[in-house]
Amino acid sequence: MKGVLMKDLYIAKSNIFVTIVSLVVLGFGLSFLLETSALLVLAPVASTTAAFISITSDAASKWNKNVITMPVSRGQIIGEKFLFYILLAALGMVTALIPCVVLACFGMDVTFHSLCRYGSIGISATLLAGGISLPCAYLFDPEKSQIVFMMSFMASTGIIAGLILLINFVFPVKENILLAFGIVLVISVIWFFISYGIAVKIYRKRDIA
Amino acid sequence: MTNAFMVSGLTKSYQDFVLDHVSFTVPGGSIVGLIGENGAGKSTTINAALGLVQREDGVVSILGREELDGDIKEQIGVVFDGSNYPEILSPQKLNRVMKNIYRTWDERIYFGLLKQFSLPSDKQIKQFSKGMKMKLAISAAFSHHSRLLILDEATSGLDPVVREDILDMLLDFVQDEEHSILVSSHITSDLEKIADYIVFIHDGKVVFEKQKDELTERYGIIKCGAAQFDALDKSDIISYRKMDYEWQILVSDRERAQKKYPKALVVPAAIDEIMLLYVKGEK
Repeated sequence: MKGVLMKDLYIAKSNIFVTIVSLVVLGFGLSFLLETSALLVLAPVASTTAAFISITSDAASKWNKNVITMPVSRGQIIGEKFLFYILLAALGMVTALIPCVVLACFGMDVTFHSLCRYGSIGISATLLAGGISLPCAYLFDPEKSQIVFMMSFMASTGIIAGLILLINFVFPVKENILLAFGIVLVISVIWFFISYGIAVKIYRKRDIA
Repeated sequence: MTNAFMVSGLTKSYQDFVLDHVSFTVPGGSIVGLIGENGAGKSTTINAALGLVQREDGVVSILGREELDGDIKEQIGVVFDGSNYPEILSPQKLNRVMKNIYRTWDERIYFGLLKQFSLPSDKQIKQFSKGMKMKLAISAAFSHHSRLLILDEATSGLDPVVREDILDMLLDFVQDEEHSILVSSHITSDLEKIADYIVFIHDGKVVFEKQKDELTERYGIIKCGAAQFDALDKSDIISYRKMDYEWQILVSDRERAQKKYPKALVVPAAIDEIMLLYVKGEK
């Protein structure tokens, strides 16, 4: 699996560099308009586009066909892609934290509470979107899965809003914001792992030619 | 001699095509050429045998094992038409990737082959010509101590010089009796040079599996007119075609045919002529 991950990192390298620079610049720019920590919502979502680029690259180069003949199982191929997605999301978060920490040092209003709130929203949105788009990338052709990928981020925003509304029936969200988004985050993590299982099942049965 | 590769009753159905109980073997230490026209089922057979597509029926045994696990995959080198490696990578980066995929990856062999083929190790694959990509794919297949090579149309679209280089490599490879090759191609002249056995697939079925020498040294084509054709013993005919000015009749023993029909012109049959007569001819 390490070799396949390395291949994806090579493909994503130039894209990751552009994303990191953009996020840092955006972070400093955003601080004049909004809370800097709001960047944590955008960062993991933006950084995971590289995972999708690698999936389309695999399809274009027919790597998918080649890799099946190598000593890598179908489960490992899917596992690597999900791991790569998480790594990219984590990288996006860490990158977004750089301007937050720098601006906090200069006395800007960046609180632990706001970091946790926006961070949990960002990770939840990313995991929910990945949980939708990654299995679909192995179910549909590249054109259709590209559409699903774009739609998945909108869908994840809707799901988060829906979950928050549901939680609000149980307890008032406004007074327990961190707890509410923490619950959403846990649901997103569970969904991501369920989606991994679904993707493995789909891919094991899929004909690759 | 044990079989390096064996398929028995391999079946796969598509909407408009059926791979119908395909069976053949690749004996250890030999080169088997899988021939057939485009869409005959060569690639489907290879894909089903390698687990790329789910087979509906049949048994596949590779290097003596029916389960295609990581250990067996370590010992198989597969080359498809095109390089099938991410084009953004360079051969150098590909080496790092493959080193982490194959336990048995040998970068000494890999870089040796890159040098032998004059392939730049730092250039992106997308800048390579088709021939260079093919050479790279073959270099990779040779670099993890494979015992079985499977090549699916790997030489199609290449110029004769590159094809010759690749065929020489394949012949070198089988000098070791532990090594075997299954090569699918519709360029039958390549297989005439290197194959020990020929498996002919037509319309999803195996038409014949024979030693190449039997085909090239024994098979023949009787070229005659209508009157001579009518006089032929029909049990001697495998298949025949009526051309503009003559009849072409495929026979399995040209010497016997020449003795039996001394006035007829009996010529050796090339593999592509045999294939053509089977596909286009009447029985």
